[in-house]
Amino acid sequence: MAVITIQNLTKQFGGLVALEKLDITVKELSIHSVIGPNGAGKTTLFNCITGFYRPESGQILLEDYPLVGLSPDKIVRHGVARTYQNIRLFPNLTALENILVGQHSHLRANFLGIVLGSRATRLEEKMANEEALNLLRFVNLTGKGDFLAKNLPYGDQRRLEIARALATRPKVLLLDEPAAGMNPKESQDLMDFIRHLRDELKITILLIEHQMRVVMGISEKVTVLDYGKKIAEGLPAEVQSDPQVIEAYLGKGSAAKPHAA
Amino acid sequence: MDPTFGQRFPGLRLGLIGGLCAVLLCLVGMVVAFNQREIISGVISMGQTLLVFTTVFIAYLAAKRSLPHTAARVMTSALMAGLLMVVLLALLVLIGKSINMRQVFINASPALFNLLLFQQENLAVGIGLMLFSGTLIGGLAGLLYLTPDLWRKTLIAGVCCLAVAGMLQDLVSPIIAAWGPLSILGDWLFTGNGLTIGGALGLFAATAALTALWRGKGEVVRERARRLEPVPKRNLKLFGILVAAVALLILPHALGLFLSEVLTIIGLYILLGLGLNIVVGFAGLLDLGYVAFFAIGSYTVAILTSPELGFFSLTFWQALPFALVLGVIAGVMLGIPVLKMRGDYLAIATLGFGEIIRILVLSDALRPWLGGAQGIGRIAKAQVGGFEIASPQHVYYLLLAGCILVGFISWRLRDSRQGRAWMAMREDEDVAQAMGINLVATKLLAFATGAGFSALSGAIFAAKIGSVYPHSFNVMISINILCVIIVGGMGSMPGVVVGALALVGLPELLREFAEYRLLVYGAALVAMMLMRPEGLWPAATHKRELRETEEAIIPPEPEPAVPPPR
Repeated sequence: MAVITIQNLTKQFGGLVALEKLDITVKELSIHSVIGPNGAGKTTLFNCITGFYRPESGQILLEDYPLVGLSPDKIVRHGVARTYQNIRLFPNLTALENILVGQHSHLRANFLGIVLGSRATRLEEKMANEEALNLLRFVNLTGKGDFLAKNLPYGDQRRLEIARALATRPKVLLLDEPAAGMNPKESQDLMDFIRHLRDELKITILLIEHQMRVVMGISEKVTVLDYGKKIAEGLPAEVQSDPQVIEAYLGKGSAAKPHAA
Repeated sequence: MDPTFGQRFPGLRLGLIGGLCAVLLCLVGMVVAFNQREIISGVISMGQTLLVFTTVFIAYLAAKRSLPHTAARVMTSALMAGLLMVVLLALLVLIGKSINMRQVFINASPALFNLLLFQQENLAVGIGLMLFSGTLIGGLAGLLYLTPDLWRKTLIAGVCCLAVAGMLQDLVSPIIAAWGPLSILGDWLFTGNGLTIGGALGLFAATAALTALWRGKGEVVRERARRLEPVPKRNLKLFGILVAAVALLILPHALGLFLSEVLTIIGLYILLGLGLNIVVGFAGLLDLGYVAFFAIGSYTVAILTSPELGFFSLTFWQALPFALVLGVIAGVMLGIPVLKMRGDYLAIATLGFGEIIRILVLSDALRPWLGGAQGIGRIAKAQVGGFEIASPQHVYYLLLAGCILVGFISWRLRDSRQGRAWMAMREDEDVAQAMGINLVATKLLAFATGAGFSALSGAIFAAKIGSVYPHSFNVMISINILCVIIVGGMGSMPGVVVGALALVGLPELLREFAEYRLLVYGAALVAMMLMRPEGLWPAATHKRELRETEEAIIPPEPEPAVPPPR
């Protein structure tokens, strides 16, 4: 069953067509990669799904629910969370507070309850704290919860960003270049972690990635974009040998050479 | 990389900078003006202290930056800096004595030159003394840098205590005088103007001894307090709170009428600062029109209670809810048009809003309703059970209650879902929205809460003064409140109190130097941004995880055989 269905999606910036009549279907509990050269429209696609951009035409369905036109905070409530290409944590909040912010939409406390310190509010805060500590443990950051996010090392920040996204209790997690800046060992760990996410927490993963090792290693389906259009889709191995893909990445004429990919 | 000239000879560079600063201090007249006040009677005045402190600071800095860091280089740098500073001052004296500078620099007066020349008739002797003392001070600063840490800190603490005691004698001596038997101590410490020599020595010795003791034993005491069992620890904390509460309650009676008046002004600014702290410190919305809500609170109480206009004659307590509600509504109304604005654009739009309110209350067209330039008088005082809260000593309690209420609400909000939403929005608005935070509701709530607190402050202000005028609500008030929270520490509630004490309390106590208020303000802000951008009392980061896990690690207490009665 499809979790995310994108139909005929078009997004323009003035005269520039960033996404053109795009159709993508993301299957439930799959790990689905979107790849393409720089400027192909991958991040634009993520911004359309999460509501930061409003597409000119087309549909985005979460299960059967249309997402186009909803504001980002409503979309995350429906179960679509994301991380960013250049990490965007809340730098001056602690790691734990970052995760607690992620839980915002699941907390109910209102102004009066907070000021009066009602029983429900206190109970809710306690539960939220426990859940945040669990999430810290899940991404292997136990003991670092009181560090300011900006003081964490790079790898920890990446994982904290994922933990914050998980705190929104998503059905679909959008990861924008999660392996950027990682060495081979770290990307291997990341791949195991992403699989673990899907298997343990039952979350569908849609990711943008440039490291081919990662894409080929974990994806069950790969969609290739170039200039806002889908040029290929399929299993990693199929996509890898597709002449159009090779051309998009390496330029015209490269497809003839056997070792190009 | 080769060191630059300035890095190689820090004494020269800093001496020049320091000298120019000292000349500036003289030419704006600060030195002469401050000279009226004696720090130690007959020994040193505040004007001289200002120059000496500048010299010591510069020479100390030169000593610290000297390279290579040998004793000889340190001393040369410090001496050079000290000497150079007085050379520039001496040049000022020479120029001033030979040509008349007063047409341009009105403060280049004979009084200034006499002061700089140590009141010597003979120019050569005076300049000689200047050069000698400058070098001496530079040398002492160098030696100070070379003395061991413990001694240096002790000395600095002692000298600073003397300077503060001398500067704030008008605050300290009446308090001591009011405490019956303690007044003997006051007579021993203070003359009419400045500390006595014996008092100064005694105070210095006492401060130095205390500092040395604390530096020696303080760590042990703190460690012992940390190791205490939870129950005595809590008792200690409760005791501390109790002492603070009693101190706050008796404060106005211990301080007397004038200082209570100063306290009420500080209280108003704390109240305003706590409100703006929510908007700027928590939610990161730079609001420069904050005084508008203060004005709305004041005018609402004025219109509803003053018989001068003759519409209503409610009591203060009946009018207060209207003031709060109108403040909150105004906050939302300001919030709606600026929802999409960020940073500088938001600052300019809110600045405009503040001016709109001021100009509205000033306008002739609205005069029958708002009083125009003449304002509104005869505003009802607050009454509690037939007792009228009129004198500053009583208004203090009203403000104390207000501050505690507002502080409590701020504190609760900060550690909640709502506070986290504000702070997330401050850090990164887009990501906050992607985390499920409704930006519209969150922003409007910040504006409304801040505006409500400001209106409360305005209502108390109106009842305290008894009349309101449009010029009480100019843009400088907004700027002052912003300075209070910047100097105190953005987002920090104790910081608001510290900032208000430093920026509002101190100038009130040093009234005779009011003309330099803005100069000092500006210098203090620049210095703060360079040296301590996080503020005097920065917001603490919460140690949530540690606290949680610590609680988890402590083994559960064994079940008591008999369950305690509930």
